[in-house]
Amino acid sequence: MKKKAMALITASAMALSLTACGGGGTTAETTAAPAAPAETTAAPAGDGNTAVPAADGSGLVYWSMWEATEPQGQAIQAAVDKFTADTGIAVDLQFKGRTGIREGLQPALDAGTNIDMFDEDIDRVNTTWGQYLMDLEDLVKGADYEATANAGLMAACREVGGGTLKSIPYQPNVFAFFYNQAIFDEAGITAVPTTWEELDAACAKIKEAGYTPITCDDAYITCMFGYHMSRLVGEPKTEEIVKGGQWDDPSVLATAQAYADFASKGYFSETIASNVWPAGQNQELAMGTAGMYLNGSWLPNEVKDMAGDDFVWGCFSYPAVEGGTDGTDAANYGAQVLAINKDSKNAENAFKLICYITQGEFDKMLSEMSVGIPADSNNTEWPELIACVKPVMDSMNTRYPWAAGAEANADLTPIIKENFLKLCGGSIDAQGFVDALKKAGN
Amino acid sequence: MKRNKGMIILFLTPAVFMFSVIFLYPIIRTVIMSFFKIDGITDPVARWQFTGLANFVKLANTSLFRISMWNLFRIWFFGGIIVMSLALLFAVIITSGIRFKSFFRAVIYLPNIVSAVALATMWLQYVYSPKFGLLKTVFTNLGLTSLAKIQWLDNDHKFAALLLAYCFGMVGYHMLIFASGIERISSDYFEAATLDGANKFNQFRYITVPLLKGVFKTNITMWSVTSVGFFVWSQLFSTVTADTQTITPMVYMYMQIFGAGNSITERNSGLGAAIGVLLSVCVVTVFWICNHLLKDDDLEF
Repeated sequence: MKKKAMALITASAMALSLTACGGGGTTAETTAAPAAPAETTAAPAGDGNTAVPAADGSGLVYWSMWEATEPQGQAIQAAVDKFTADTGIAVDLQFKGRTGIREGLQPALDAGTNIDMFDEDIDRVNTTWGQYLMDLEDLVKGADYEATANAGLMAACREVGGGTLKSIPYQPNVFAFFYNQAIFDEAGITAVPTTWEELDAACAKIKEAGYTPITCDDAYITCMFGYHMSRLVGEPKTEEIVKGGQWDDPSVLATAQAYADFASKGYFSETIASNVWPAGQNQELAMGTAGMYLNGSWLPNEVKDMAGDDFVWGCFSYPAVEGGTDGTDAANYGAQVLAINKDSKNAENAFKLICYITQGEFDKMLSEMSVGIPADSNNTEWPELIACVKPVMDSMNTRYPWAAGAEANADLTPIIKENFLKLCGGSIDAQGFVDALKKAGN
Repeated sequence: MKRNKGMIILFLTPAVFMFSVIFLYPIIRTVIMSFFKIDGITDPVARWQFTGLANFVKLANTSLFRISMWNLFRIWFFGGIIVMSLALLFAVIITSGIRFKSFFRAVIYLPNIVSAVALATMWLQYVYSPKFGLLKTVFTNLGLTSLAKIQWLDNDHKFAALLLAYCFGMVGYHMLIFASGIERISSDYFEAATLDGANKFNQFRYITVPLLKGVFKTNITMWSVTSVGFFVWSQLFSTVTADTQTITPMVYMYMQIFGAGNSITERNSGLGAAIGVLLSVCVVTVFWICNHLLKDDDLEF
């Protein structure tokens, strides 16, 4: 009996300990560049220690979301090396990878680990980790940092920081339709679509020219739903509908009808319902068989090796819809941001390092190496591959959160995703889409 | 034999201490956490909000969590039947004295040592590809056009695709456990049975299977524990956002603790802990049932 009891305890211990730390312990998962302009990484929470901080505590400890081997990691490493050479301040730069920092930063900060600065996506840093951030207003003023910073992004940082600046943006990005200019030219499309009707007309021309007008992957399909909803009723309302399960709102059916219409006209990839990221972006858009893909400005960098040197990119903001509240000046735009731990004793030095990374030479290097948007307004030259993004980025006035609110309810995202994929694939109609969401309840 | 209590205590103390710190403490803490609303997993206890059974009630009322439990059951049950059957079959073949035994054993075990990321990429981007996939090519060449047209990764087929890919990698591991169990059975029994005129199937049915009861129990327990921890393959088959066909309770737990996808969603580590408690109850139940159904202590060999 005792033996059995012991066996039971051991089995439950195995199961519980496994479930208790399973999520954190499994680091081999793939994360499709979350709001992060880079490729998938199997991200072990590996350390990439480069320098040991000075024994007197004047050194800096910096946790980064990148991998040492990624272009972003390499550019940051170069900036850190120059910083150390110029100032004599040692920096313990640790590349944690996306999952590493997402899972590990908060426990480390709670445990009192000495971390002076860290970086991640603008929303996660300011919202999830907001309580650990130092107010940077004085440091920014003292260094006259804003003279060369991107005003829109600084404003976005203040907005998500609750009215004050708690993070410094770098590696900006914007979410929009990316297209293959050669296909547009061949189809005879001379101006980018700014309304849903113009998009309809453009798709018809592309289809007639023998190409797939629009493709997507499962990872980004909810964005199409979110952007259309937000164009119709605005992002706050979209979020309200998604969080409250208000599927009877007419905007849901209107969105579904717009997409069902496109599906019936054959505008979507034949395999859209089964495209698991990155099949659509790699095998269709980059290979030149599909015309458009709604994605972030990191896309050209992700597929550049497949698309080839002759691939000319175009970019336009999600079109406005008739009778809708939002225009093409609204989208999810943002950046990765750098922040300083409120308990850091080296805040001034940390801010100095932030200036090294986000200004001048190394901002330019980061932009060139990662084919990304520069953060320093003096770096006016954008990499050629994403030059098309500049007018879109410059036109932005309203900032949406990720997926324009479509993924605000974690319990519903997979259900929206499943049914929107079916809608685009043509296996359900608009009413079927609404009914499926209603059936799922919360 | 004279018992020296002092020595017993001395030798047991380190093990008991380690067991308490590494196993008992997290278990007790997890159970307690499941009754609270906790934002960050390392939030101080002062910030925990007691909510009673609210976490368990919410889980019961959330359709996505119910879907994830259903997926877990499907993986455990159907996957278990596939993996155990194939593992046993291969184990019997491998131990039957065939030539190149080591080679075949290595080949079947090979997927276990290849990274899950690499394996999943192969399945997703090559085998199941509706454009140039292995399945499409094979079925097209066989003239089975309706099968060749199937999109293996759409919502209707994604679970089967995931299960097949996962089982492919798991057979070797359980085969080794079965094979070692079979090799433990003395060849005398088989020789005697052969002399008595028993054919191979009867030898398997009346000697191998009864004497493998304990190994079955081990395999089912191991399978249950790894199934409950099903996470990586689910993540690989639905990157960024979870999928109704591939989500498992562990993925749901991750979403609750670290946030879902790229969005900043509400977090509740207490809910995550409640899932942990539920899953451990599942494993203990399976273990208990196995113990009662597969009694192996009546046989000595």
